[in-house]
Amino acid sequence: MQKPRVAFFDFAGCEGDQLQVANLEEDILALLGQVDIVTFREVMKEHSDQYDIAFVEGSCTRLLDEDRLKQIRKNAKVVVALGSCAAIGGINCIRNYKDLEEVRRTVYGDQAKLFDTYAARPIDAVVKVDAYVYGCPINKEEFLQVVKSLLLGKKPDIPTYPVCVECKKNENVCAFERGQFCVGPVTRAGCDSCCVNEGTICWGCRGLVDNPNENSHKEVLIKYGLTVDDAIGKFKLYFGWQEAKR
Amino acid sequence: MNLISKDDFNDFVNALIKDESWNVIGVKAKGSKFAFGPLESASELRLDYDVTLLPPKKYFFPQRETLFTYNLAGGFSAKNPAETKPAVIIGVHPYDIVALFHMDEIFRETKSDPYYFKKRESSIIIGVNIQKMSKWNFSTYMGAATVDYGYDLMLTDLGNRYAISVGSKKGGDLLAKYAKNVSGAFARDIQLVGQKKREIFNMAQQKLDFPPELIPEMLKKTYEESGFWEEHSEKCLACGSCVLVCPTCYCFDVKEEMDLSLEQGERIRTWDGCLLEDFAKVASGENFRATRPTRYRHRYFKKGKYLFDKFGFISCVGCGRCSSNCLPDIANPVKLLNDMYRETSVTGAQMAATTPEVNIQTEGNIDYVPKLATIIKKVPMTANETLFELKLDDSTELGHKPGQFVEVSVFGIGEAPISLSSSPTKKESFEICVRKLGNVTTKLHMLQVGDKVGIRGPFGNGFDVNFLKGKNLLFVAGGLGIAPLRSLFNYVLDNRKHFGHVSLLYGCKEPRELLYKEEMMALKHRPDVEYRAAVNWCPDGEAWTGGIGVITTLIPQVSFDPQDVYAVICGPPVMYKYVIGDLKARNVPDDHIIVSLERRMKCGVGKCGHCQINEIYVCKDGPVFNYSKIKGIPEAL
Repeated sequence: MQKPRVAFFDFAGCEGDQLQVANLEEDILALLGQVDIVTFREVMKEHSDQYDIAFVEGSCTRLLDEDRLKQIRKNAKVVVALGSCAAIGGINCIRNYKDLEEVRRTVYGDQAKLFDTYAARPIDAVVKVDAYVYGCPINKEEFLQVVKSLLLGKKPDIPTYPVCVECKKNENVCAFERGQFCVGPVTRAGCDSCCVNEGTICWGCRGLVDNPNENSHKEVLIKYGLTVDDAIGKFKLYFGWQEAKR
Repeated sequence: MNLISKDDFNDFVNALIKDESWNVIGVKAKGSKFAFGPLESASELRLDYDVTLLPPKKYFFPQRETLFTYNLAGGFSAKNPAETKPAVIIGVHPYDIVALFHMDEIFRETKSDPYYFKKRESSIIIGVNIQKMSKWNFSTYMGAATVDYGYDLMLTDLGNRYAISVGSKKGGDLLAKYAKNVSGAFARDIQLVGQKKREIFNMAQQKLDFPPELIPEMLKKTYEESGFWEEHSEKCLACGSCVLVCPTCYCFDVKEEMDLSLEQGERIRTWDGCLLEDFAKVASGENFRATRPTRYRHRYFKKGKYLFDKFGFISCVGCGRCSSNCLPDIANPVKLLNDMYRETSVTGAQMAATTPEVNIQTEGNIDYVPKLATIIKKVPMTANETLFELKLDDSTELGHKPGQFVEVSVFGIGEAPISLSSSPTKKESFEICVRKLGNVTTKLHMLQVGDKVGIRGPFGNGFDVNFLKGKNLLFVAGGLGIAPLRSLFNYVLDNRKHFGHVSLLYGCKEPRELLYKEEMMALKHRPDVEYRAAVNWCPDGEAWTGGIGVITTLIPQVSFDPQDVYAVICGPPVMYKYVIGDLKARNVPDDHIIVSLERRMKCGVGKCGHCQINEIYVCKDGPVFNYSKIKGIPEAL
């Protein structure tokens, strides 16, 4: 059987998710045993428009992006959103809270008019997406799990529960117990609570769970001593697009 | 009772560590908290801890556990996970010892869980009496602040020495082999230990306002008070923290993982929790406990009512971990139960009547490794449903009863419960009718004749055919509900003279969704079966001679004596209440109505918790139920 052809693409983002793939080390060889990578700007010069699976990193931030994204959708059998910016809009959506004219002037100064833009959005706001690899950056293990699932013809097993589940299993001291503020209780798990394991907090990079109890968690943040503005700010970092939709 | 100086006790622990035949575990500091972990030296031990983040159950029922590994290269071969060294766990508080006793009972019931007991039986528990109590702890009220059983050794801190009670031969032998300078205790030391244990009862900062024996009756009175549960669970984050840290929670999920070769894989189980959103969700998308208040309520009922009714104990030891881990502060059982006590005003007199009769039986071990079976026939029935005929590779008979189900494995993908669709009178092979819905069933549809699947089971109670013999039967099937009913229906046809009047009512959405078309057509020519079918609608141009309308429109079309008929019903969840309502309106007695129910049956053996309807495990106690037995069970229909 012919190996599926895989391509990587990037939109507005830091390309850190593709870097995670490039950093798979020995697993990259095993991966190449199962798929042919035909486009991957970060690691190779070659390019092909014939591919089965497209991994798309980055969010859509201007009308111009949409044509390219729709062409990718047309070429690919399966489109996978790679990383927070593509999957949930990511930190690009922070600017959606601001006046876009002001954003353009801040970034491009008197050249602002030359750069068209619109509210940053995840790629599923533009095209149909078949699978998601969440995270900022993505977790290598989960990326491989998604690839394996696609190869096996299986829906990837992405948790619907929050990060607390993994924190408890990993026996972490709760960030709140350490006097810190964390949005793990409303954030989709699947990262193995990696940030909290290292003694810091969950910033919410994997986005909100499907049915978060946001009001309750904002109350928790305030109860533990955060100002109302800071509590709202915690939700703005990664949840901008999701919050606007809710 | 024995005495050992603290220095000699440390030497004892270090000798155990040095021996290397033990996995020596103890309570250690973790940040500002404590956790059980492997000891490198006795100096790491913190026996003055208040509570550990996770209970010691993680050593017997780990967060993630391999059930078996397998290799698909050259067929399927399964291997049991490698054995681990026996554990010596030092510093277990009495409430966690009581919790392990609960876990033992639960994992032993019906069929014993070999993964749990292998580790449990080889391990040694060295307990320690509570020196500091967590501010959330209420174990004194739950009878678990001190304990006289369940440990191999039990320590009490007496300043510069420990008093050691030997609770088992294993414990005594360990002490004799590894400890030096152990002496017998004098009367004053024994008195001192008694005094230390009494002091524990003054440490609790939580206060339960009533005796915990009242809990089951209080819960019973509160079940329908939806306002009560909504109010208490309003802030629930559905994060599962309360159940994940609980020493008596045992629910788990079963998953499949493969490496990148796509040839080597393993089936694993991981901790799960009934507070999590998808806990009771099935592949069709139906979620049988979809709201926070119902899940929140289920946790209390499981601990305080369902397990109590079965085992005779309230499955909470008062460790307070759930309370301390709940950020919105709604998980504290003491607060909720005190509120409930005020609202229900249950008294001791009502309690006596509720003491359960405990009758726990166990027979053999659970086997999670499936048997191999080959697909010998594949008949597409509709766009989404296919009939598979399967034969076990070891040429044994499946030996099922009508109405039972099997867990079908598609390797690399996972396992799903599928009802058996063939009558046991067909012995050499069996059939399942599968709808393409989730991962397993979708992949199953891609398999061909000659391909292998795994089979566990048969599971469940099945229909009581001996009871039904001589009775008039009215089968009511909606959509895929015909699949399990066919196992009984075909049995009845194969033994036709043993049954009375037989009718079959079959409904589905539209003609193209009709299953077993040829068999159904053939029924029209059988004088000994009354068959009626209806579709909800018939698109233009499709041939259809049956009725149009919902399934209940068929009931008036067949003649039956309501007092002398047994109705057997299976269909989508929404169907039951309408069919049962119409039958009751015709004066069919409740105990003449038999239903087969669908739930998320993950383990198949009444352990993992997913298929639970209130106190009932559908995989074990069902899926066939007499309506009169479940009509009072709110989650059932």
